[in-house]
Amino acid sequence: MRGTLAAVAELRARLLVRRLRGKGGLAEGVALGVLFLLAIPLGLLFAAAIGAGSYRAARTGHGLRVDVALAAILFGLWQSWTALSLTLNDRDGLDLRRFLVYPLPPGRVYLLGVLSGIAGDPIGLFWLILLCGVWGGAAVARPGPWLALLAVALLLFALATVFLVALLQELLSSMLRRRRLREVAIGLAFVATGWTLAAAWGGGARSWRNALPALRTVQWAAFPAALTNAAAVRLYGGDGAGALPFLGALAAATAVTGFLAFRLALAAARSAGDVGEVRGGARPGRGMWLGPLRGRFAALVEKEAKYLLRHPLARIYAVIVPGFAALVAWKVEPAIPREAGEVLRALPLFGFAVYTHLVMQIFWLNGLGWERGGARTFYLAPVGLADVLGAKNAALYAFSLVIFLAAGAVSLAVGGRPPAWAIAGALALHAGLAPFLYGLGNVVTVLNPRAAPFAVQRNGSLSWLSGLAGMAILSLACGAFSLPVLLALRLESPWLVPAAWALLGAAGLWAYFRTLPGAGRLMESRRDALLPVVCGDDA
Amino acid sequence: MLAIETRGLTRLFDGKPAVEDLGLEVPLGAFYGFLGPNGAGKSTTIKMLTGLLAPTSGAARVLGLDLSRDALAVKSRIGVVPDGLSLFERLSGAEQLRIHGQLYGLDRPTAARRAEELLDALDLTADAGKLVGDYSHGMKKKLALGCALIHGPSLLFLDEPFEGIDAVAVSGIRRMLKDLVGRGAMTIFLTSHVLEVVERLVTHVGIIHRGRLAMQGTLDEVRAAGTLEETFIRAVGEERNGGPGLSWLDPAADRVGTGRA
Repeated sequence: MRGTLAAVAELRARLLVRRLRGKGGLAEGVALGVLFLLAIPLGLLFAAAIGAGSYRAARTGHGLRVDVALAAILFGLWQSWTALSLTLNDRDGLDLRRFLVYPLPPGRVYLLGVLSGIAGDPIGLFWLILLCGVWGGAAVARPGPWLALLAVALLLFALATVFLVALLQELLSSMLRRRRLREVAIGLAFVATGWTLAAAWGGGARSWRNALPALRTVQWAAFPAALTNAAAVRLYGGDGAGALPFLGALAAATAVTGFLAFRLALAAARSAGDVGEVRGGARPGRGMWLGPLRGRFAALVEKEAKYLLRHPLARIYAVIVPGFAALVAWKVEPAIPREAGEVLRALPLFGFAVYTHLVMQIFWLNGLGWERGGARTFYLAPVGLADVLGAKNAALYAFSLVIFLAAGAVSLAVGGRPPAWAIAGALALHAGLAPFLYGLGNVVTVLNPRAAPFAVQRNGSLSWLSGLAGMAILSLACGAFSLPVLLALRLESPWLVPAAWALLGAAGLWAYFRTLPGAGRLMESRRDALLPVVCGDDA
Repeated sequence: MLAIETRGLTRLFDGKPAVEDLGLEVPLGAFYGFLGPNGAGKSTTIKMLTGLLAPTSGAARVLGLDLSRDALAVKSRIGVVPDGLSLFERLSGAEQLRIHGQLYGLDRPTAARRAEELLDALDLTADAGKLVGDYSHGMKKKLALGCALIHGPSLLFLDEPFEGIDAVAVSGIRRMLKDLVGRGAMTIFLTSHVLEVVERLVTHVGIIHRGRLAMQGTLDEVRAAGTLEETFIRAVGEERNGGPGLSWLDPAADRVGTGRA
């Protein structure tokens, strides 16, 4: 058995080496190195900040300041870890389905796959450094045996997060395979959204806030953060015995989650992969309503929209982003003092405009990743390749806007209505960033495509190089869009923000349409290199 | 006018020729079988003729149009079933056909009507609502053929259309293709390994070997007095048979490599 597992390890290593030595592998290797180089100092920097928070909390011991600080640290870490793991995790080398044929215990293969997802992942490393920062801050503030329990809590937190991500992935892909379950989930999502919007429309923000204590139970859905938080609050308060039940519950929940995720993954790997009928898909005459769009472009947009709506990750984000917005409106926004000013108080809403683009980055950085053989159609059919990219961007923007609007509505309902300029600003920011991100994303899509699996449990939707490029593009765009905020703060003129963002967005849109034909020509010239990768012939 | 005419068509991969100095002549209305052993350059040729691959040198005219200058016009008049297929796996079969038709310029109602007819003709109506990714290989091939036909092309390129599909489906597709050429509806350019099927279908044959055209002409001209298989083997040579070996498969051998016989 040891020999067989060693063969698996060798296979994974060889696949990695081959990928790095293959076409574009050098750039991938450099990108991976840069990501590690960025992850370590950045992780240390943030770990120092988080460590300072942890230090203060450990010194204080009890009270609201400790509760809020720990909740912010743990829920924040958990959420961003979850969201980014779903995007950038690279475990395709240990796909269970591929290994079923070998005489290996599938549980061990699965565990190896999940754990190597943390160890070989700069993003995972980044979060582990942050967790070390939490522990380090507490250790400096108050040395003692309680730190061993805190270390156990943080370790369980990391494991639980990884397993919960895996379980979410399995559940969502399982939902895709069961039509009735999928429709019930979509129905519930609609009811919840309608309820939220009705509450927001009727000025129900106050009643919502009043109802929140009753909804505290919702936080347990994020059990890695919630249970660790409950244990940590008691540990920081010096109540080690009080923390034990929560640590026990966390360990048990982690084990159960891991086991469930594994069983679902195994069932999926052993299934035929049949997803059944697509609603309305049997009648060729039925299609999406696309307003004034006609002809080939409409067909391209419809195809893209169907792909997005059927993509498990897009569905995950449609749930996660509004959920995160509720959490921020509930936990973070009240912590911003009124004297901080309108601009600073609106930052969470602006943050969601950026965050929506961030989570959707796999689609604008690897737009051709899910086409497989379909990519040949773009070259075979009499369609312009600029139109192909434009249709991808149009469908993605519409989808991203719906998610952002849902997040905004939830944020409004839970946190109260912000001033009109902030709403206008958030919309302008979301719209204004899109042409910059999508325009540059098209170049990355064409230059560095990667065949990506259409399932959440076998990830690897972005190469490291594209991930790094996305980080740079998003940072540059955010840097440019943050300048008007600084100016507005100095001039104390909040309306300057939406006006400047609208202007920047208009400039971006102009540049986007000027450069789109060039992106199409680039796609044409990259045909020979692109098709084998996207169609999976190289995979 | 010829349906396909190439002059000196060449494609190099890493400096090595996959197709070299190809001079194809496919008459309009012909059913042209393009034969060759594995790796001979058949798929590379189809890819170059359909716009999936750029030639390194040489020229090609398709339906009288210069492929390099009038690429879009050529694309709208040809139908292609490429080797790896060109299907969007996350669309249903019905959606795939309709959207494919729209991409070739059909309006939605026309594309939908033709898609229904094709689903019926290809015996896919019962599975029209399933995602293409869940189709069997044979169903995908049939759907790809439907996609290639939906816009009414004048020239059809089929790369190994019978590979991986059952005898009943082969028979159905063969009948359909023969009928299309018989009606004078289109020219068909087909590659296949199955010489018996090709021999019963085609009117013209071209044989490619190691990237070069070994012979071409009408079926009767090419096979002369013998069968197509004999001509083919003469053109490309016999393959070396595998020798003895695989000793671990002997009855008394140590099969699992534990050292115990």
